Amino acid sequence: MAEAAAVVCTGLGRTFQGRQAVADLDLMVPAGAVFGFLGPNGAGKTTTVRMMLGLLPPTSGSVRVMGLDPVREGTAVRAATGVVLDQVGLYERLTAWQNIEFAARVARVPAAERGARIEAALRRVELWDRRADRVSGFSKGMRQKLGVARALLAEPRLLVLDEPSSGLDPINIVMLRDLLLSLVQEGGRTIFLCTHHLDEAQRICSLVGIIQAGRLVALGAPSALGAGAQPAVRVRCGRLEAEEIAALRLPPGAAFAGQTPDGEWRVTLQHPEDVEGVIAALVGAGAGVRSVIPEQRSLEDVYLSVVGGQVHA
Amino acid sequence: MHDLGTVLWKESAEFAGNRRFLRTFGFAVLIMGLLPVLSRQTAAAGASGAALTMFVSLLYALFSGVIVVAQTAPDLVLHERSGRTLEYLLATRLSDAAIFAGKVIVGAAVGYCSSLLTVLIQLLAVNLRGGGGAWTWYYLAEPWGRLLVFAAPAALAVYIATVGTFVALRVGDQRAAYMVTMLSVALLAVPFLLHILTLQFTMSWIAHAVIVLAGLALVLVAVGVRLFRREMLVLYLQE
Repeated sequence: MAEAAAVVCTGLGRTFQGRQAVADLDLMVPAGAVFGFLGPNGAGKTTTVRMMLGLLPPTSGSVRVMGLDPVREGTAVRAATGVVLDQVGLYERLTAWQNIEFAARVARVPAAERGARIEAALRRVELWDRRADRVSGFSKGMRQKLGVARALLAEPRLLVLDEPSSGLDPINIVMLRDLLLSLVQEGGRTIFLCTHHLDEAQRICSLVGIIQAGRLVALGAPSALGAGAQPAVRVRCGRLEAEEIAALRLPPGAAFAGQTPDGEWRVTLQHPEDVEGVIAALVGAGAGVRSVIPEQRSLEDVYLSVVGGQVHA
Repeated sequence: MHDLGTVLWKESAEFAGNRRFLRTFGFAVLIMGLLPVLSRQTAAAGASGAALTMFVSLLYALFSGVIVVAQTAPDLVLHERSGRTLEYLLATRLSDAAIFAGKVIVGAAVGYCSSLLTVLIQLLAVNLRGGGGAWTWYYLAEPWGRLLVFAAPAALAVYIATVGTFVALRVGDQRAAYMVTMLSVALLAVPFLLHILTLQFTMSWIAHAVIVLAGLALVLVAVGVRLFRREMLVLYLQE
């Protein structure tokens, strides 16, 4: 029977010698979701993943993965999970084929099926022609692709990717993102993606959580996170002095919040419909309005605001 | 058993792909095999000299296994750390016992093979040097020689491989791990240095010593399999 939730953390916490790496983490990732786990370095993402995989026991709370308790049923959790860790962990002295074969043996793929499964995995990531080459000669991008192929070999219900784009050049980031997008389009599996690449998370993920200093500080769909922020518009108009701005009769709660380097004014609103009052005030003051554009808050804006950075204005 | 087979397959494939190790291994075995045999006539003369050369040759064969396993066993764990494959290995479904036992078995097997290859080279060298007469089995002609060649290196290799694997879990540096592992070999000499035991070259004494060593090695393996938890290594990674 399929579980409704792939990952459930309840008050999950882990300390290391008095230092709280993860604290009171409450999280529910529905089965089939593509979950983006965002946060700065040292925020607790990898520790959470390690607890999910049963590699570390929690010091408080609990975690269940596909209905299983990783502390008591770690082997079953790991058997049902494919992982691409921060360090991909490929064996450099082995060939691409041997690395995948090791994963096949670990997954107990019957010997009769093994060859075909390995071939399919290597073809999928376009490394079939390099199957006999040692991994030591592979580029970072090829390693990441091979890591993904290895994780998918056992057709896991949960795929955990910990910073898969870390250290990749832009071309390889796009290549890996396309690979992840193809996995998402296939459906049928839950993807738990730890990433620094907010653009990647915005494009791929159906649900995003932001963790900072071990605590979950935001959770929701990328679009909903942005929509939950204070509405704002960007106004391009003629010359406008500070005294003129102060004299404007703006709707209640609306305010000028600075000017962008290219001359646009950012005006925050209490309600989106207040934009009409802002336009009327500017026209009434003879400000020469040229354009008024509703501001779309990106995931990056949300991320920077909740982890303590500056919102781009 | 399936997990153990998988670990053994992986470790063997890695060894086969480690050309640098294979070169060093081959060179060490060749030197340890040839040196005592080729220097035997200058080292001693007469029947007592021949016996001494035989004894020294045996020591070289044993020592060949000791140094190889003391290097290899910790390296099997340390290489996973330096190659950043350790966390992947721990994140697989492989059991803790299979990971530990697999490392010990492969480390011990490489050391044992080293001893046997050294013996083989010594035999070939002795016979070639003999000038084409009747084939001589050298110390293998003696029952105690066969015991020391086939049983003692196996027990010693398992003992050192278990200690080496444990040491590598706590010591991050390859050289330090090697030194600590060799120290465990030196510990075996303590009862003799303290005159608690006296070295005897009788068949019975050698057989008993091998049995005691094998027992000690098996107890260590059992303790290791029981105590080894992947969390030990994950906590190290976390630091």
